Amino acid sequence: MAQYDLTLTIAPYLDRHLVFPLLEFLQEKQLYTDDHILKAKIDLLAKTNMVDYAVDIYKSLYHTEYPLQEMLDRRTEVMDRLKYLEELAAPLVSFLQNPALVQELRPDKQYNLQMLHDRFQIRSEQIEALYQFAKFQFECGNYSGAGDFLYQYRTLCTNVDRSFSALWGKLAAEILMQNWDVAVEELNRLKETIDSRPDPPLTQLKNRTWLMHWSLFIFFNHENGRNGIIDLFFQEKYLNAIQTNAPHLLRYFATAIIINKRRRNMLKELIKVIQQEHYTYKDPITEFLECLYVDYDFEGAQQKLRECEELIVNDFFLGKQVQENGYLTMPLRDEFLENARLFIFETYCRIHQCIDIGILSQKLNMTYGDAERWIVNLIRNARLDAKIDSKMGTVVMGTQHTNV
Amino acid sequence: MASRFWTQQQSDSESEEEEEIEEEEEELETRPDPREGAAAGSKYLSANLSDSDESDDQRRVVRSAKDKRFDEMGTIVEQMKNYMKINDWVSLQESFEKLNKQLEKVIRVTESEKAPRVYIKALVMLEDFLVQALANKDAKKKMSSSNAKSLNYMKQKLKKNNKLYEAEIELYRQKPESEEDSDNDEEDEEGMESEVDYSDEEPGNIAAGYSGSEDEEEEEDEEGWEKKRSKKDKLMDKQFMRDPSEITWEMVDKKVKEIIAARGRKGTDRTEQVEQLTYLTRVAKTPAQKLEVLMHVVSAQFDVTPNLNTHLPVAVWKKSVQNILSILDILSQYRNIEVDERVEPESDTETQKGADYEGPIYVRGNIVAFLERIDDELFKSLQCIDPHTKEYVERMRDEPLFMTLAQNVQDYVQRIGDKSATARVALRRVEHVYYKPQEVYEAMRKLAEAQTSNVAEEDELPTEVDEGESGEDGKVIEIKARESKAPPSFVVIPEIVPRRPTFPDLSRVLMDQLVSTIYKYGDERTRARAMLCDIYHHAISEEFHTARDLLLMSHLQENVQVMDISTQILFNRTMAQLGLCAFRAALINEAHGCLSELYAGGRIKELLAQGVSQSRYHEKTPEQEKLERRRQMPFHMHINLELLEAVHLICAMLLEVPNMAANAHDIKRKVISKTFRRLLDINERQTFLGPPENVRDHMMVATRSLSNGNWQKAVEVVQSLDVWKLIPRREFVLDMLKSKIQEEGLRTYLFTYSSYYDALSLDQLMTIFELEEAQVHSIISKMMIAEELHASWDQPTRCIVTHNVEPTRLQALASQYAEKLTVLVEGNEKAFDARTGGGLEGISSMRRKEGQDYAGAASGRRQNEYTGRQNYREFGNAGNRSGFTGGRGAGGQTRGGFYRDQRSGQANSRNNSSYTAGYQSTRYQDAYSSVGRTTYQGLSSAGASRNAQPDAAGRMVNLAQGGLTRSSGRF
Repeated sequence: MAQYDLTLTIAPYLDRHLVFPLLEFLQEKQLYTDDHILKAKIDLLAKTNMVDYAVDIYKSLYHTEYPLQEMLDRRTEVMDRLKYLEELAAPLVSFLQNPALVQELRPDKQYNLQMLHDRFQIRSEQIEALYQFAKFQFECGNYSGAGDFLYQYRTLCTNVDRSFSALWGKLAAEILMQNWDVAVEELNRLKETIDSRPDPPLTQLKNRTWLMHWSLFIFFNHENGRNGIIDLFFQEKYLNAIQTNAPHLLRYFATAIIINKRRRNMLKELIKVIQQEHYTYKDPITEFLECLYVDYDFEGAQQKLRECEELIVNDFFLGKQVQENGYLTMPLRDEFLENARLFIFETYCRIHQCIDIGILSQKLNMTYGDAERWIVNLIRNARLDAKIDSKMGTVVMGTQHTNV
Repeated sequence: MASRFWTQQQSDSESEEEEEIEEEEEELETRPDPREGAAAGSKYLSANLSDSDESDDQRRVVRSAKDKRFDEMGTIVEQMKNYMKINDWVSLQESFEKLNKQLEKVIRVTESEKAPRVYIKALVMLEDFLVQALANKDAKKKMSSSNAKSLNYMKQKLKKNNKLYEAEIELYRQKPESEEDSDNDEEDEEGMESEVDYSDEEPGNIAAGYSGSEDEEEEEDEEGWEKKRSKKDKLMDKQFMRDPSEITWEMVDKKVKEIIAARGRKGTDRTEQVEQLTYLTRVAKTPAQKLEVLMHVVSAQFDVTPNLNTHLPVAVWKKSVQNILSILDILSQYRNIEVDERVEPESDTETQKGADYEGPIYVRGNIVAFLERIDDELFKSLQCIDPHTKEYVERMRDEPLFMTLAQNVQDYVQRIGDKSATARVALRRVEHVYYKPQEVYEAMRKLAEAQTSNVAEEDELPTEVDEGESGEDGKVIEIKARESKAPPSFVVIPEIVPRRPTFPDLSRVLMDQLVSTIYKYGDERTRARAMLCDIYHHAISEEFHTARDLLLMSHLQENVQVMDISTQILFNRTMAQLGLCAFRAALINEAHGCLSELYAGGRIKELLAQGVSQSRYHEKTPEQEKLERRRQMPFHMHINLELLEAVHLICAMLLEVPNMAANAHDIKRKVISKTFRRLLDINERQTFLGPPENVRDHMMVATRSLSNGNWQKAVEVVQSLDVWKLIPRREFVLDMLKSKIQEEGLRTYLFTYSSYYDALSLDQLMTIFELEEAQVHSIISKMMIAEELHASWDQPTRCIVTHNVEPTRLQALASQYAEKLTVLVEGNEKAFDARTGGGLEGISSMRRKEGQDYAGAASGRRQNEYTGRQNYREFGNAGNRSGFTGGRGAGGQTRGGFYRDQRSGQANSRNNSSYTAGYQSTRYQDAYSSVGRTTYQGLSSAGASRNAQPDAAGRMVNLAQGGLTRSSGRF
């Protein structure tokens, strides 16, 4: 299933720290060898400040007790830098840690700066140091600290670009801490900022692509994410970004639409996009939709559905497992399969007046009994105008067409 | 008299010659141009005329009694010559009139229809002199008023007069000898004499083969300046060869300036100028000077063809290329020399700085402009040369040479950091590569390599042929040594810049390099053109999606309307190529989208600049035609029009045939390709159909068989086209075509015949159309989902069960009929409105009458309805005509509203079912009979639907008589 793995495609659009969960997931799924993944992890950590973690991985990778000298050097370097920044930012940090004082801050940034300067001798260098410190914290893996500092920093910062970076940092921190509600807020804020910034189109495109990738973490975890992802991705600018820059996002987009019953109306648009991008990107999920709605090839759809299942299990975002009543379930997979089946069946019914349940059960990847039960349920819930001819083993559709 | 003239002339020329010699000695004068001034011109003319006069003299001696008239005429001519010399137009005018009178006498005497030679000669002489006089504006200004008046008079008179003798003059000018032969004056001596004259007259004919029976002095006079020049040349050469070190920078500089000053003046011999300048390149003192002179050489070479419509002779072109290459040599050897257009002309002592000068030296000039001109000339020559000759092929072989030059120029401008120039040069290179598919590109690459391998031979050849002007060889020492005449070049520049192009293996690689440079540095237009070339190249290398994305992302489609014409042509070419590419990739819809617009106006040739299409409706002015001819693409860049047309028509056929079958009952509803429909109409109107000849005929035959369900024949006809041999991956394309035709055949079949079946078997369809089960299933399913086909599958029996909700022919016609009636009623109502509402002004009396008739015809029942008209018309305005059928009944408004809602929400086909419900009711018949009369009355106002209506109405009447049975068989 490694052929459908998107980790490599997605990774360039993510922050280093955001890639970790993906690698962890891959390790668990055993798609690649352990060594392979451990190496990737070390590479990933090389640029971060999580030296201790890197050392651990190094040890387990090469089964040695002695890490490389350069790693140790790096460690001391990091520690020094940390100390330095900490000292530099100390006055401001202490100020910010005092809730009574923070209360005095007002929405007026100029006033705040003035006040800090007058009363606490905190100058702009210290504020800048706060940003650096926050960034450093983030690099070290202290996401909550970083997130807090960045939040504070934003209230003080006057530099637009810096504030923009701080937004990204904050979002990353929230995602890594899995504070989905906060993350959604940050995401929306960031989105507005991107749209309003006077960047050249190319930069905007890049930013949007990043944003979409990051948002995957949120949308597949947040309870309302399924609507959120469709809303975001379906905006024209973002859809354009998908088409030009990241067609692989169509996988998540398609999945989101398939499992979201209320957004069925968007399916047509989605299929158009999928068809257009067919030459650059395809995977079982998009192919499934194509088989079903472009070629009406039910056999093919069936085939693809099986592949889809496998794909979902091995996808970080889609194959999330949830502990429920002591069972490990994959809610997304189940929903996807259920909906996909319904799609097939619906389409099938639309063009048939008489269907053999045996064949249908095959197409739906069910046993005869299951299929019959499923159909009965559908009929009972008044979603289908049909009758089962149990002697012949067929479903006969009610005539939708009024005769002349 | 003659002798007087003689001496006069002699002294004249002698003094001038003396002057010249003096000049020569002083400033290395090569030669004065004899045609420069009026005086020199007259000398030239008189020199040759004095001969004829002399011959006259002789004649008189031989047979003086024989013909006095001729002598008189000769005298007048003599006089005229004299007047010319003193520029006396008043007297000239008089003599001219005298001459004409004399002519009448002569003709009477000789009793021949032809004007005598002397007369014609005089005319020619006059004409030439006149032209000169007119061209010399300064002199004209100085003239006295009476003189100027006579000049103008003469101008008109002569023009008129010469028209009569146009042929003779032409003949005389072309080949005086043959004219002389045909002249049946039996004067042998004159013939002898005049032959000598004529050799003088022709400037190219240097008196090398002159039979010098006369003495030395006479020879000098007789031969005029031609002879003198060669002498002077020799003199000059001697001087140079004797002592090249004596020549100073100033001398060269002065001379150059002199030559440049003469540039563009009337009567300057352009080739001569090139030679002189070329000579100077050899004696130039410093590299910078050499560079400067070379620049002038190139400009002078460009001047050789003054006309925009003719191209530079190939030899000159090649020499210019070599010269520019030497310029580049100098520039790359002496890095401190800078060529810039913005240098002030005053600062030209710059070039005095020698080769060892350290600081920057500025020379005025623009190499990129040279390169562009070279390219334009290449393009023009390819436009002009007949593409079916060997010459064309030869010419095309020069392309690598150009590419070399362009490459070098690009390197140079890149070195000096001129970004926009880099982009411009890169674009020129792109425009030589973009239309070449990999195979052609490969061929060019090989050719370039082959050319460089025997480059030595090639270098020898031109030097031997044109020894006199070997400027480009100045720096190749061994070649130069072979030349006896040319002195060694003073500044020797080795060949530094590569003389062979380097092409990457793949044209794509080259394109990418160039195009990315252009995108980085180019201006708007350059970028747009580069983008188009890029798209074109992607299209011919079968990368449709990349090409399409580039096109869409660059938004060229929106901006192309405001671009210059040549870019628009490029855009059209790109679209055509994109269409072909889409077709090869089996993307019929896309292909049609790309091509349909090109074919919409029927001016495809013009749009692609591949020839001129004649338009019946508007004549083009000569200027427009000229412009258009200048835009034409050279033959080797053409996109095959037959192939393009075939592809376009096939795409249109594949889309349109099922579409027509689907909407058989109302043709006008949805037209995909208007062009195709028109062709089909024309074809159908023909009484006799011969076997198909051109692409169009083939396609029409294929269309007919396809719509009749005979897909095999369609495939056969389409595949029999010859154009397919032009397409790469032919087998694949033909297979693709076959399967497409099968599929569309199936669709057409289902559209046309499904309503006659209760059920169709899947297997049956598979065998008829030789398609796979999956394919048939998929196609039919698609049609069902799209509600094009009202049927559903019966899975256990593998059958398609049709629901027969499609209206039968009768029903469809009835609904059409009703719709038309609605239109009529509406028209009538408007008329009624106008009558009662007071809006009478705008309506003709005729129309008013109709309204009255209508009012009478409509029963009182309708009158009642008009009370509810206000509401009723709302339906009509909403574009929902059929609301009327409901509206006519008792509960007008509400029913109408119901129909409208239903209709607007549903697909077309559904409408019919709702309609037919109304149709079956008795009310319909009622309505029908009441409107029956109005149909005919209202015909004139029905306009467009006029033709169709009586037909439909007639059928309806029959039907009504025969009862409303289902009568599909009858129609």
